[in-house]
Amino acid sequence: MTTEDESPKIICANPDCRVAETGRCVEGLALDACHHYGVDAEVMDDEAPVEDGRAESVTLPSGGALTPAQAADVLRWGAARVVAVIGPSDSGKTSLIASLYDLFQEGSVDGIEFSRSRTLHAFEHTCHDARALSRRGVPHTHRTPRGEVSFYHLEVGGGAAGEQLALLIGDRAGEEYREAADDITVVSRFSEVARADTLTVLVNGERLLGGGRHNLRHDITMMLQGLRDGGGLRKGGRLALVLTKLDAVQAAEEAARALRDFELLLQDLQRLFGDVLALITPFRVAASPKTDTMPRGTGVGALLSFWLGQVDAPTSVVRRRPVHARMFARLQAVEESLELQHG
Amino acid sequence: MAERSVVIIGLPASGKTTFLAALWHLVTARDVETTLRFGGLRAGDASHLNAIAARWRDAKVQDRTAVSGNRLVSMNLLNSDGVPVRVTFPDVPGEAYRRMWEDRDCQVEIAEVLQAGGVLLFIHADTIQTPKWIVDEVALSKRLGLEVPDGEVVPWHPRLSPTQVQIVDLLQLLRTPPLDVGPRRLAVMLSAWDKADGEGLSPAAYLEAKLPLLAQYLGRRADLWTSRVYGLSAQGGDYDPVEEHADRLPAAEDLRNLDRASMRIRLVGIDSKTHDLTEPLAWLME
Repeated sequence: MTTEDESPKIICANPDCRVAETGRCVEGLALDACHHYGVDAEVMDDEAPVEDGRAESVTLPSGGALTPAQAADVLRWGAARVVAVIGPSDSGKTSLIASLYDLFQEGSVDGIEFSRSRTLHAFEHTCHDARALSRRGVPHTHRTPRGEVSFYHLEVGGGAAGEQLALLIGDRAGEEYREAADDITVVSRFSEVARADTLTVLVNGERLLGGGRHNLRHDITMMLQGLRDGGGLRKGGRLALVLTKLDAVQAAEEAARALRDFELLLQDLQRLFGDVLALITPFRVAASPKTDTMPRGTGVGALLSFWLGQVDAPTSVVRRRPVHARMFARLQAVEESLELQHG
Repeated sequence: MAERSVVIIGLPASGKTTFLAALWHLVTARDVETTLRFGGLRAGDASHLNAIAARWRDAKVQDRTAVSGNRLVSMNLLNSDGVPVRVTFPDVPGEAYRRMWEDRDCQVEIAEVLQAGGVLLFIHADTIQTPKWIVDEVALSKRLGLEVPDGEVVPWHPRLSPTQVQIVDLLQLLRTPPLDVGPRRLAVMLSAWDKADGEGLSPAAYLEAKLPLLAQYLGRRADLWTSRVYGLSAQGGDYDPVEEHADRLPAAEDLRNLDRASMRIRLVGIDSKTHDLTEPLAWLME
């Protein structure tokens, strides 16, 4: 393998290695430890076909989070549920999403099984900082950066999912939702909220333990008010009110008060938004506990079942993907620039 | 003569080349009854198959340098009705499949190979990388009175992902454009089964226990794979290392002492144990 510019040529005897482009050994070795590195392929193996590492290649789906247009494509091809997870940036949104995916690594979740996912890279990246291979001392999750919403994709079957159901989980920076209370015009950008079969509002349990508990309850109420007045709440929609970091709450002296605050918030939301939302249901989760006082993913299975539950309006016009024997018959028209629409 | 192809896939060091070596020995030695039988040598280069089968008979680990590069190998076989069939397999280094997961691309010639016939998927039963979580490891360290490991933080890289995630993604890619050619049969070969069968599980139960995400994916059949799971010991035990002056292993010597090398091979199916490596191939080509 060689480079074409004026810099010294980087060569490797392994025809599958692209060290000249990536700087990484395909075997995962340090360059000075790889016995292929720096050796011409013809010298190593006269009989092996000499390959150009940059041979023509085909691009495969990225495995990253889906754009709104890609999410709309999922909605067209089968039964699906859209979930918008909203809450301040430290409320545990990324932990919740990562924990849900990681539960399937060990088996079915409340009778629901993993079927497939178009976003395995995105899930894996999200889970990494809670995994032992990250070499962190305590689980950690990154904040979602500001910008366009993206979607995690999970297809599941069995239990509450029935035969087969796709789940699209919207991922947007928490700060953006919070701005709805300051200026309701931002709500028009939140296509995932308007389209959601279930809104999921996260209540940071750790914040309920401290002096900020009144502001937290007020912030959530006003954020939902902004979504409602900005036209973001769908009539007859469902809302999951989720107390996160339950492990920290249970371990604190103020546990009883925090749980009572959560109950009061639930009552307030049912009183203020019950005319728009058909169902407001509470959940308590410990998605990624910092210690082993609670199992990972406590409460997440129940929330998943709620997300997959029956909704009033169909999410989309379902077109079953036909199976054709001939390649030509499998060609499909590609539609571009699709936006998430109301069901 | 009918032309059939079987796709062999698997991550690096999953036993793909060892399988081909054992298969070529088995059909050419003709000392064990097999579903598919040797159909003779025809025009075409059999040197690669002969070379890897010779190393296998000598109980030597396949030299990865010698098997680098993409190759197509063909065998002339007779099916159970005596009808000649020429079966073509790719012998492609596992790095090509790892690149599909990590870099999200695939060489054109490999993409073409992947679109032919049923699929033999190799997973090394003894080197499965399972997901592990910080909280569990910290709790274990504390229970054992050990210091909690706290080294330099390792950034995410796709190679760190669990084996089952990489395999599920590979299978999904085969059912997604531009590689999709419709529903296919899939034989999951749990290689190095001699290292795994001490657990007393059937191959299907082992898959469910050690690779639950993959088991769910295959069980739900969202991608319409028709699958079977086999436990395969194509080597029969540990082989001598590649290095020229390395010590010879007693286990490898025992294998060389068998009167018939074909007896090293063990294939465990749903409810059968056999030396017949051609059984999954025959099923894939039905």
